Amino acid sequence: MFKPTNALFGGLLWKTPWRLSSPQKARQRKRLRAVDSVVDTLSAALARNGQSAKAVERWYAEMPREEEMLPKDKYTLFDKKEKSYRKSIHKLPKWTRVSQRVNPPGF
Amino acid sequence: MSFFRITLLRSAIGLPRRSTDVLKALGLKKRMATVFHAVSPSVAGQIMRVKELVSVEEVDRRLTKQEVHLQRKPDPGYYVEKRAEQERSEVNGLKSRPGARDR
Repeated sequence: MFKPTNALFGGLLWKTPWRLSSPQKARQRKRLRAVDSVVDTLSAALARNGQSAKAVERWYAEMPREEEMLPKDKYTLFDKKEKSYRKSIHKLPKWTRVSQRVNPPGF
Repeated sequence: MSFFRITLLRSAIGLPRRSTDVLKALGLKKRMATVFHAVSPSVAGQIMRVKELVSVEEVDRRLTKQEVHLQRKPDPGYYVEKRAEQERSEVNGLKSRPGARDR
């Protein structure tokens, strides 16, 4: 259903701010740490039973932890269409429920 | 033998269908639902698919639905004097039984 709003009637009206606020960044860090702790729990439990899982090992091999990440990677992501090749992470659809940690090297 | 205590904290609405299907396979139907699964690589792989949505703990045994409910139930702020002894022994029994391993 079309709902006439200033944003949809054309013109330059951005309703989403271009950068994250500091509480948003704090919550983003909290979510990153929560995912880290889930993976740590899985790996510790499996190790205690002498088992391992491919997905867990792959995560450790490829993904940085929250404290190892640069602020740049925590709050922004690569976008080839941007002038600085970076846009804020809240432009990513479902950004609070997906893991987006690595970006192309050099950008 | 230890178990994963998995609680669904965020819903999978709007996420790819695979995420919803994995939650269904784990038996998580709504937010704050808790399930127990034996520690195994296949369960770990399933949790990895929905790691942003759940919280996981390793526990020694499966808790029953009533026990999970009692853990979440807030303190009523009063007690019935006639049943005080019995209630205290129940609460102590619940505390002394090994629930979580890493807390």
